[in-house]
Amino acid sequence: MALLDIKNLNLAMRSYEGETQILHGIDLKIERGEIWGMVGETGSGKSLTGLSVSRLIASPPGRYLAGSIEFQGRDVLKATDKEMRMLRGRHIGMIFQDPTTNLNPAFRIGTQLVDVALHAGHADPSVLGLGAGASRGDFKKAAKRVAVEMLEKVGIPKAADRIDDYPHQFSGGMRQRVLIAMAMIGKPDLLIADEPTTALDVSVQAQILRLIHDLVAERNIGVLLITHNLGIVAQICSHVAVMFRGRILEAGKVNDVLKRPSHSYTQALLNSVPTVHTKRGELMGLSGAMRETSA
Amino acid sequence: MLLYILRRLVLLVPILLGLTLLLFIVARILPGDPVGLAAGPNATPELIAQMKREFGLDQPLPLQYWNYLTGLVSGDWGMSVFTRRPVFADILEYLPATIELVFASLFIAVVVGIPLGLLTAVYKNGPLDYATRTVALGGIAMPRFFLGLLLQMAFAAWLDILPLSGRYPLIESPPDHVTGLYTIDALIAGDWSAFQIALSHLALPAIAMALSPLATIMRMMRSSTIEVLQQDYVMTERALGLSNRLILFKYVLKNAMTSTLTVIGLYVSWLLGGTVLVETVFDWPGLGLYATQAILTQDFMPVIGVTLVIAIIYLVAMLVVDLLYGVFNPKVRYA
Amino acid sequence: MTMTPIAIPKRTQSARLENWSRAFYRFRQSWLSIVGLAIVVLLVVIAIFAPWIVPYPEHVVGGTNTGARFQPPSANAWFGTNALGQDMFSLVLVGSQVSLFSGLAVVFIAIVVGTAVGAIAGYFGGWVDEVLMRITDLLLTIPSLILAMAVAAALGTGVWNMIIAISITWWPAYARLVRGEVIVKKEEQFVVAAHALGANWLRILGKHILPNIVSPIVIKASLDMGFAILTVASLGFVGIGVKPPTPEWGTLLSGARSYMPDYWWTAVAPGIAIFLAVLAFNLLGDGLRDVLDPKARR
Ligand SMILES: Nc1ncnc2c1ncn2[C@@H]1O[C@H](COP(=O)(O)OP(=O)(O)OP(=O)(O)O)[C@@H](O)[C@H]1O
Ligand SMILES: [Mg+2]
Repeated sequence: MALLDIKNLNLAMRSYEGETQILHGIDLKIERGEIWGMVGETGSGKSLTGLSVSRLIASPPGRYLAGSIEFQGRDVLKATDKEMRMLRGRHIGMIFQDPTTNLNPAFRIGTQLVDVALHAGHADPSVLGLGAGASRGDFKKAAKRVAVEMLEKVGIPKAADRIDDYPHQFSGGMRQRVLIAMAMIGKPDLLIADEPTTALDVSVQAQILRLIHDLVAERNIGVLLITHNLGIVAQICSHVAVMFRGRILEAGKVNDVLKRPSHSYTQALLNSVPTVHTKRGELMGLSGAMRETSA
Repeated sequence: MLLYILRRLVLLVPILLGLTLLLFIVARILPGDPVGLAAGPNATPELIAQMKREFGLDQPLPLQYWNYLTGLVSGDWGMSVFTRRPVFADILEYLPATIELVFASLFIAVVVGIPLGLLTAVYKNGPLDYATRTVALGGIAMPRFFLGLLLQMAFAAWLDILPLSGRYPLIESPPDHVTGLYTIDALIAGDWSAFQIALSHLALPAIAMALSPLATIMRMMRSSTIEVLQQDYVMTERALGLSNRLILFKYVLKNAMTSTLTVIGLYVSWLLGGTVLVETVFDWPGLGLYATQAILTQDFMPVIGVTLVIAIIYLVAMLVVDLLYGVFNPKVRYA
Repeated sequence: MTMTPIAIPKRTQSARLENWSRAFYRFRQSWLSIVGLAIVVLLVVIAIFAPWIVPYPEHVVGGTNTGARFQPPSANAWFGTNALGQDMFSLVLVGSQVSLFSGLAVVFIAIVVGTAVGAIAGYFGGWVDEVLMRITDLLLTIPSLILAMAVAAALGTGVWNMIIAISITWWPAYARLVRGEVIVKKEEQFVVAAHALGANWLRILGKHILPNIVSPIVIKASLDMGFAILTVASLGFVGIGVKPPTPEWGTLLSGARSYMPDYWWTAVAPGIAIFLAVLAFNLLGDGLRDVLDPKARR
């Protein structure tokens, strides 16, 4: 049984112009310990795929036409709202792109961490190191302790003091660390990170990626890392899926796909990444013709 | 923080000085002859002159203002020609009734308006949303005094479940004076039946005053909640499994409150001014009724006094709003 | 990598006309604004023609019919009759005149005074600004209804005295609004340029700045019309305002108070009239805001 098994996922979204199909039969299988990179041009449906796993797309506007998303053997598209909530935060963690807008500005980061920890703890007390009969007070104390530990783990110095600070008192990179701590505090089995470093400085990007990589290695969890950056994929991913217009063109081990792309779109994508060997003027954009043929 | 409050309070002094001067000038420029009215049509010139002396109206204007100002500070707010009592004593007597009424209506407006705004934002375009928005549109346009009359007709005359007017039955004595707010005093005294009586009198005027601010607060809350619900952090909170109730009533509420707070502050002044209408309808013995009587008899010292009190309450309310603003928005720093 | 030349769409209408038709489209989008507009138009028509269309014209100039006191609503008197046997329907229709006229006058005076004060304060800045704005702020802290009542009572009865009294409390809000807009517009290129070319301040204000801030004023004015009517009625209700034979909604309502609840119709008719007028202007104002300031849409 795979950790995550998306089969033939078809999703349509409704907008002012009417309903359009966005995902056309996505297939993707993620096992524990695998870091899947998902690349593709903007609007190809990467984020919607990621959100679907936690069933975070409201309907309307979203509507699933066909397919299933099995997480640890159970189809999340058929789960009840309550079951979904028990998965979120506890079994599936998520990180989004912009750390400046993804933390609630009106609350101390500790409050936000503790609430997520409490939620995960109610789903499974062992997350907080508690037994089934623990009291409310125990939960609160444990959640606070775990929050501080988690902050230390993601590299926030003086975590015990900073837990009472508000988001605006942190830098962008630090905020993304806090968000990673929030996503990981419930000890999830799967982490979905949607462009977690796009909004950050290049120097900070590497630190954040290393952090994610280390946490994943330590806990042996599965990761779906959505990105535009093939360089990132090459560095930290074990597998990659290339998306184009709501379809997965090719997927597999990073080495196989990036070394021997079987699809012209992937080839073009690779050519668009500058390397030290790229000469001036050689950098290619994706042409309209290429888009037509590969669709 | 404390320093900030102190500084704001000190800044109130010049505002209040300006206010008294303005009110004083307005009162003196205006035509009108309170003494003549009070003395009656048959008064002799001697009597009028004597009354003028009695009220200090025969002195030059700057001196009158100076006397008025020094009087203000020492609690001498002038005499009411109409009640023939010191204005300050009158105000002290009527103020608690008005405070009780204004607080009750503000309470209703906030306690009903904010959750309704949240819920209609969540169930946007649903039946509840349409129903409350329609009522809100009407609520804002509804004259307070007309609503008061309708409520009297429905609940006092036809259904006969609430008293028509007044603050407490005349034949009974109100609960022991502690705060002057009958409902609170009754609770302090532990007198449950007195509390019920006070509350039954308070209900209709408070509702009549509350409808419009309720509707505005609800609309404000609805639009800011809709905005907050689209924020990224709400998605993060949902993605990490927090319950809808927790997200809405804790995380969204606090963010959506900031813009609503300003509206609530502005309504304090609106409610206080509106007491002249609602207290007239319900014979509610408060500042509004007092001011109305004074105005109709062109008795200006009470009018200035009431206006001054309301302005002070308003300025303090704005200060409280500013402080609360910092509670809801941690980025605000009081320097 | 081909570049298709961008076809510039032909203009069949002038840009201005297009703006207007788009604005009108937005207005039509909300049927509530249409309802508001319809009621406002109806009110204006009634106010203009009331003296000729009411069934009992003699009642609106003080005539009484004590034989027909307190008749409930019927085919003869749609809204019933009052303590003097006067036809409420006739009184309410004619009452629209005072309400609409004084509402309009209040808003007009407030705009003129407020714009002048705000424009001068915003344009010149410095101590002029300080003094004018301090006075404005002071007036804004005073409960406007009480101040208006006091001034109106002191000036004595009469429509114009009431209008002046209310206007005194209304212009500061416009002064604030205009001052803010002027300060923003003052820094814009074309104003700076006009200044450099030696245009004098009156010309710059009148020709270059004020025409550009009409929208916010119109939006505020249309929303304020309803509340001006409400204030007029409020003064009438507490017994300050127009002289008795002239029908006025607030005064009618206050007169009906002593005969509640038995003769409820004497209160309901003028009350609903006030409610409808205020509601209509609010709806219209909301619609105009959507048209003139699409950004402010919820
Ligand atoms: N709420 C929505 N309603 C309607 N259509 C939507 C909605 N969200 C996304 N879409 C459409 O779905 C398509 C895929 O969106 P998605 O956000 O998954 O793209 P993406 O691959 O993540 O792009 P990017 O790299 O820019 O983040 C887009 O064409 C977008 O227009
Ligand atoms: Mg995306």
